[in-house]
Amino acid sequence: MLRAKPMTRLFMAGLKEQMAPVIHEIYRHHLFHIHSFSEARGEDYEGFRMGMPLPGAGEAATQLVTVRGLLSALGISRETPESFGRRPVTEVRAWLEKQLPLIRNEVENEVSKKRVLLETDRKKYEDLLREIQPFEAAPLDMDLYQGYEHLSVFAGHIPRDVEIPAPHEKFFNDTVPGRFIVVFTPKEYHLKVERTLLDSHFRAVPIPAGEGSPKELYKAYDARLAEIRRELASIEEKAEKIRKAHAHWLLASEELLMADVEQKEIPLQFATTEQAFIAEGWIPAPEAGSFVSALQKATGGKIFVTEVPMDEVPEQPPVEYDNPSFARPSELFMDVYSRPKYTEIDPTILLSIVFPLFFGLIVGDVGYGLIFLAMSYGLRRYLTGPEGRMLLTNLRNAGIATVAFGILFSEFFGYRLPWGPILFSRHLNIGGEAAAHGPLIPELMILSIWIGVLHITLGRIFGIINHAQQDHGRHRTLAMLANAGWICVMWGILILIWSQFALPLMPDLTGFPPVILGLNLAGILGAAALVGGVILIARDSVLEIVEIPTIISHVLSYTRLVAVGLSSVAIAMVVNFIAIETLIEPQLENLTAVGIIIIIMGVLVFLIGQLLNIALGLLGGGLHSIRLHYVEWFTKFYKGGGEKYTPLGMIRRFTED
Amino acid sequence: MVEAIAVETVAGMTPEMIAATQMGLKAVGAGLAVGLTGVGCGIAEMGIGSAAVGAVAENKDIFGLALLFTVIPETIVIFGLVVALLLLF
Repeated sequence: MLRAKPMTRLFMAGLKEQMAPVIHEIYRHHLFHIHSFSEARGEDYEGFRMGMPLPGAGEAATQLVTVRGLLSALGISRETPESFGRRPVTEVRAWLEKQLPLIRNEVENEVSKKRVLLETDRKKYEDLLREIQPFEAAPLDMDLYQGYEHLSVFAGHIPRDVEIPAPHEKFFNDTVPGRFIVVFTPKEYHLKVERTLLDSHFRAVPIPAGEGSPKELYKAYDARLAEIRRELASIEEKAEKIRKAHAHWLLASEELLMADVEQKEIPLQFATTEQAFIAEGWIPAPEAGSFVSALQKATGGKIFVTEVPMDEVPEQPPVEYDNPSFARPSELFMDVYSRPKYTEIDPTILLSIVFPLFFGLIVGDVGYGLIFLAMSYGLRRYLTGPEGRMLLTNLRNAGIATVAFGILFSEFFGYRLPWGPILFSRHLNIGGEAAAHGPLIPELMILSIWIGVLHITLGRIFGIINHAQQDHGRHRTLAMLANAGWICVMWGILILIWSQFALPLMPDLTGFPPVILGLNLAGILGAAALVGGVILIARDSVLEIVEIPTIISHVLSYTRLVAVGLSSVAIAMVVNFIAIETLIEPQLENLTAVGIIIIIMGVLVFLIGQLLNIALGLLGGGLHSIRLHYVEWFTKFYKGGGEKYTPLGMIRRFTED
Repeated sequence: MVEAIAVETVAGMTPEMIAATQMGLKAVGAGLAVGLTGVGCGIAEMGIGSAAVGAVAENKDIFGLALLFTVIPETIVIFGLVVALLLLF
């Protein structure tokens, strides 16, 4: 929580004979994040070279290509495997040896090759059909269109009949779509006729080869096409049969071969000499002990493994989130920005709590919240990837918060619920919904400013902690003090304001008698905090002084929590007013035929308007909430840029040892 | 009352008319606040947005950062909205 998973650096060295069992063991555990060796690593590594792949890497890669080719030829998807269960590795290897060549031949000869030929034929005949179809409109055989020495032939579509100013023979048919014209003319009039036709927006069509009447040709081509389609269908049936029998084997062998190739190529990341190899990498600290003993066991104690103290390692460890399960979906938002560094605070857990609250505060409507909840479950069928699932879980949380705030604000699609607003009213004076008193804008604004002040203060405190952990020496002290200075300036300004104006929901410090320059005791305190804060900021970096106005703009930026929400309430109420009060209700009093049409229009306005508002709420609520985190909050303490923890190994779905 | 009559004689307006005019001018001000800040925001986001899309097309990993840059000027219109709301209520 608030920290990345603790990592331990492991260093291992052994003889080259041990490389294969060590790799097998590393891969099986799926825990070791290897730090690749590069030959430019400096003096300590002189004489070491990058390792070579284990024997058999090439063959495995070739087989993998074959299997993937078969998977794609048969249209087998990895995404939605029917519940297959897992097959033992030995059986899969035996299958690869015996069955793969047979199936490969069968698929190549019986499916792939034939399918390619037939697909080409199908395209050809479809084109022919399309080309011959317009010629059915003219009463001529196809052989009459071609083979002339002294005649030019024009055939194509034209918007209207046209006078040809030259000796010619013409057929025009205006009963077909696009109208069809055929013109025969001696070669010497070609240009003249062409210009006349083009002036009338003539569009030529290619004249297909063939003999006999176009109608019969069309019929013949159509019959041939049907035959091709039948053959294709029978090939698909065959493919389906092969797929049914071997899909699982193919998926399992793909997985096995992928693991083989990956394992055999791991030595590329090792440092090796003639006889020995060394490998370095990271492993989650709690797993280190059992991992080391497993390695020792696999090699019969013939490998040297040791933990390297953290301060001797130049690189930062890779970062694996360490959050309680309810906060895990918010890791998506962290990764979109940037993964935290190992040494800094990981704010995922706070994001996972605050983001839905902000979202709920912005949208705050029971009806919309229920729709978001329904969406988060309904879309589960379409978004099946891990990231899609995370997004939907976030949407679900946001939906729950929206319903909760809807109850507090007493809102349901812009209407009020049977009870009054428990939190400050957001009901606007629109149409018949005009409440006893309108929205409590000042209170809502100040509520959002309080949220901003507290959120930013927390961010600055995190900033102090981060600097304390990451920096050294004088810079560390200055940076920590500068962050404290930012807090002082912000609260100093607040106290100054409180000492001058009495605001709702905020402490009233105007009561003290004025001491100097019209400032009272509290005012002097605030001014002192402000000046002190500015000095602390300037000591770290003088240029930062120009950033001081951002304190005000960042805090005021939190008023979007109210402003965006109010605009969404306003849209909902206006839609309701137009649709229900002005269109539907007056017509219901005495129903007429026209009235029914107006009522239908009213229903349409209601649906489209509310749909638009839901989309806007989703976009506005989500984007503004996450933006407040990214821009206003993260800039106070968060850098990011950590390396993702990607251990060697894979999650196996189709094979087992 | 005396004041009201005086106003009526000077400007030819009743107090109700004055109140309505004030409300109307407030509404105009609120509209201008939202409208002009919206235009400002749009102009500011125009350049950032197009550059951000270009950058994301080259490297998908910086999507988060690009989104962040794009929405930075958006605060302007929020300020406009806040001013408008404070004017109206």
